[in-house]
Amino acid sequence: MKNLDRRGFLKTGFAGVAGIALTPSSISQSLVQADEDIIYRILGKTGLRIPVVSFGVMRSDNPGLCKAAYDKGIKLFDTANGYQNGNNETMLGALLKSYPRDSFFLATKVKAAGITREGTPTQETTAEDFLAKFSTSLSRLQMDHVDILYVHDISNPEMLEYKPILNAVKKLKKEGKARFIGFSTHRNEPVVIDAAASKGDWDVILTSYNFQQAYRKELDAAVHKAAEAGIGIVAMKTIAGGGFMDKEKTKPINTTAAIKWVLSNPDITTTIPGMTQFDQLDLNAPILRNIAMTDQEKQDIMIAASEPGLFCTGCQHCLASCPKRLAIPDLMRAYMYAYGYNNPAQAGELVRELGYGNDPCKGCTIQCNLKCSGNFDIRNKIADISRLSDVPSEFLA
Amino acid sequence: MFLLSFLRDLLTHKYLKIMYKLLLNILAATLVTSSIFAQDFNFPALKGYKIRTDYPVYVRENLWDFIDGAADNYLSYGFVDVHVAEYKKGRAVIKVEIYRHSDNIMAFGIYSSERSPSFRFVNLGAQGYIADGAINFFKGNYYVKIKTYSEKEKVLRAEESLATRIAAMLEGDAAMPSMLSWFPSVGLKKNEEVFINESILGHSFLNKGFKASYQLGNDLFYIFIIESNSADEAKKAAETFIASTGISPVETGDSKFVLNDGYNGSIFLSWKDRKIVIISGLAKDQSDIADRYTSEILK
Repeated sequence: MKNLDRRGFLKTGFAGVAGIALTPSSISQSLVQADEDIIYRILGKTGLRIPVVSFGVMRSDNPGLCKAAYDKGIKLFDTANGYQNGNNETMLGALLKSYPRDSFFLATKVKAAGITREGTPTQETTAEDFLAKFSTSLSRLQMDHVDILYVHDISNPEMLEYKPILNAVKKLKKEGKARFIGFSTHRNEPVVIDAAASKGDWDVILTSYNFQQAYRKELDAAVHKAAEAGIGIVAMKTIAGGGFMDKEKTKPINTTAAIKWVLSNPDITTTIPGMTQFDQLDLNAPILRNIAMTDQEKQDIMIAASEPGLFCTGCQHCLASCPKRLAIPDLMRAYMYAYGYNNPAQAGELVRELGYGNDPCKGCTIQCNLKCSGNFDIRNKIADISRLSDVPSEFLA
Repeated sequence: MFLLSFLRDLLTHKYLKIMYKLLLNILAATLVTSSIFAQDFNFPALKGYKIRTDYPVYVRENLWDFIDGAADNYLSYGFVDVHVAEYKKGRAVIKVEIYRHSDNIMAFGIYSSERSPSFRFVNLGAQGYIADGAINFFKGNYYVKIKTYSEKEKVLRAEESLATRIAAMLEGDAAMPSMLSWFPSVGLKKNEEVFINESILGHSFLNKGFKASYQLGNDLFYIFIIESNSADEAKKAAETFIASTGISPVETGDSKFVLNDGYNGSIFLSWKDRKIVIISGLAKDQSDIADRYTSEILK
């Protein structure tokens, strides 16, 4: 090791740091790219051969990190028209223009305007707006085409057939501005994916997929159906809960195990973990060559999966085990309105609509054996939220 | 339960109604995790427009439901909640989103991460801009985004009027963060300053710093300034940076180093008291430029 002269920059230089051993965390100097051993999968009918780990660029503002990812063997970069109000695409475009266009894949997402909370279109949902946004994306990316264009956030099957947007993406594909078209979904995924699998319009689906989703069976069935139909499946939100099991962020998730768990489903072609640090890239890069879960990783996922989630996913598994046949998902939704949305008025309205009164479990003589796939303490949450039935609506507005 | 029943019985006495309301509000306040209720903003009226505010107040746990993958960026800047309103007149719709962040620096951080120097800047709050039917600005702890898809002049004027009213309504400092004045003015690229809350240059040990872009002739480079909580903390972060590149740290003080940070290229690093200055984008033989800027910042 050599100490540097600290009198001024002019007195120092790269000669002083040459040949210094790397520290374990110093990925920055390990520039070796080894293509062999990298695990690739084929993205459905697109035929694209993609490494199992890709890059959710999303909030990274550092081209150096993207360059490092590329050199590590990551080839699919995922961004969106709306990320950082376009700055994310601009950063990627400035970097990737110096690489051969056929040496990487670029996916971006464009959101249709005016979508309602129910995921349905409105008068603002126009082809013109969508095409203009995509044109802006191409301009920021400094490219004449993207490899995958996703319609951003489809949560209602109705949108899959909404002609102005569907025709717009088909037009872009025909013109060669988008080699393949798809959509992203992270609400109501099983229904949306299942519907898409029955149609021939979509090449790729970007779906949330992680070990904490309670509707596993339905989602896996839909994903498999889509994969069988030749639709390429890309997984996002693979590290459930942003890397922690609890909202206090005291219980970190084994992120390597979480990504490997996703890739244990052969219907998933690749994952797009978000990365902003070289340390994260260091953790994720080895998965490019090894997706086999160790016993410890399996155990970590089992433990993490047993932690209760923050919100009810509405899987309805609890319904059969309630002697009173209470609409538990609705009560849990009211709980979410109150505690998640800070909206006691909406919670109170729903509780009153259900008409169970305060503490509907009280007096139930049958031993309660409620089973919640998300490990919610249902009994206590019902007691908590049902108190609102006694509170007049005008006091909650 | 007992308390509620008791209070309900008391309702027969008119004079107790006020107390009942007061107590129920206290009860409701304990029910929610924060002190705010749905849409506790009094969105200003806009002549001829109907206001719809029955949107959920999105919080950290469910921001994804509202803005999808963009949520992560907001969460990294101390996002607290967002209030949403929609103004409608005929077919014209103006949507308002008021994002509350943990403090003024964080609000600037999210605002600056979505700002482009190519936008038309306007005098709104601390700073704002207009681009493609959108008016965005920040003030105090708030980042405000207003959007219409209408291209009609009347609607755009109404949108601007609404933005002005909201800016006036919101509390907080209507000034840019004072730390921006630390950046030397020569070569500074206007409206490209940003605040990075986490992982400057992709390093987990470098956080909470301002970044500015500079152009001198053909040279484009970036200056990062981090103000640590203490001189010890600044020294530790700088030494960790040096160590990460494989060099043993040396004595503190007015230290100046040039490092090879791999994918980040050559880095000029220095620190004094609580301030760390990092310059990237210059070649290793441009230490005269780095020296000049560093000295001015740390003087």
